[in-house]
Amino acid sequence: AAGTKTKRRKSRWADDDPKPVIQLPDFMGGIEFDPEIQALNSRLLEISRMLQSGLPLDDRPEGARSPSPEPIYDNMGIRINTREYRARERLQKERQEIISQIIKKNPAFKPPADYRPPKLQK
Amino acid sequence: PGAERVPTTIDESATKVLCLTKAVTTDQLLDDEEYEEILEDMRDECCKFGTLVNVVIPRPNPGGELPPGIGKVFLEYSDNAGCFAAKNALHGRKFGGNVVTAVYYSEEKYHSMDYGV
Repeated sequence: AAGTKTKRRKSRWADDDPKPVIQLPDFMGGIEFDPEIQALNSRLLEISRMLQSGLPLDDRPEGARSPSPEPIYDNMGIRINTREYRARERLQKERQEIISQIIKKNPAFKPPADYRPPKLQK
Repeated sequence: PGAERVPTTIDESATKVLCLTKAVTTDQLLDDEEYEEILEDMRDECCKFGTLVNVVIPRPNPGGELPPGIGKVFLEYSDNAGCFAAKNALHGRKFGGNVVTAVYYSEEKYHSMDYGV
């Protein structure tokens, strides 16, 4: 019978379904097209750019800002929780959360090296 | 191809014999092993569409002479429906990198081994 053949060549026939005319790069396949993932990815990029730009992260004018928390100083008397510092913390927290969400949706996603999974706590 | 893949009616011009062109080259036909593999590939794939009675692939004569019909593959089905299904599935599909053209072939000519039309 035909099934007893030991070697199985690949047929010369191409797969039945013609490939899409535009061949997408591998990294763009499948789940990357999920609109939610796309939104998360673009926000992630935006945050990374803001963090790396060196530009002021909180440039809201005086009147538009909510009241600052009580100042915290280090033992040299220099304020730790400056506006800039708090803005950076906020963005970094958001960034970690976005990465967590992407990983939840796409376990194959490779997080950046500085990503730390959230501690499991209630 | 692909756009009109879902035929609902039998083509009036259908015959039981389908002729594939542009599927094989003369060089491939000269190689015994390759020829056998091509026959096998054709049989394996083309029996999916109906009862395949025979596969005929004309070969060059030992003297290197090229009889008519070289480069064509003839698929004979037991009925028009199988042939029709095969034509729809195979036309425009690639075989060994070549885009295959599938056309109905005269049963009369086929049976009188006239492959040159």
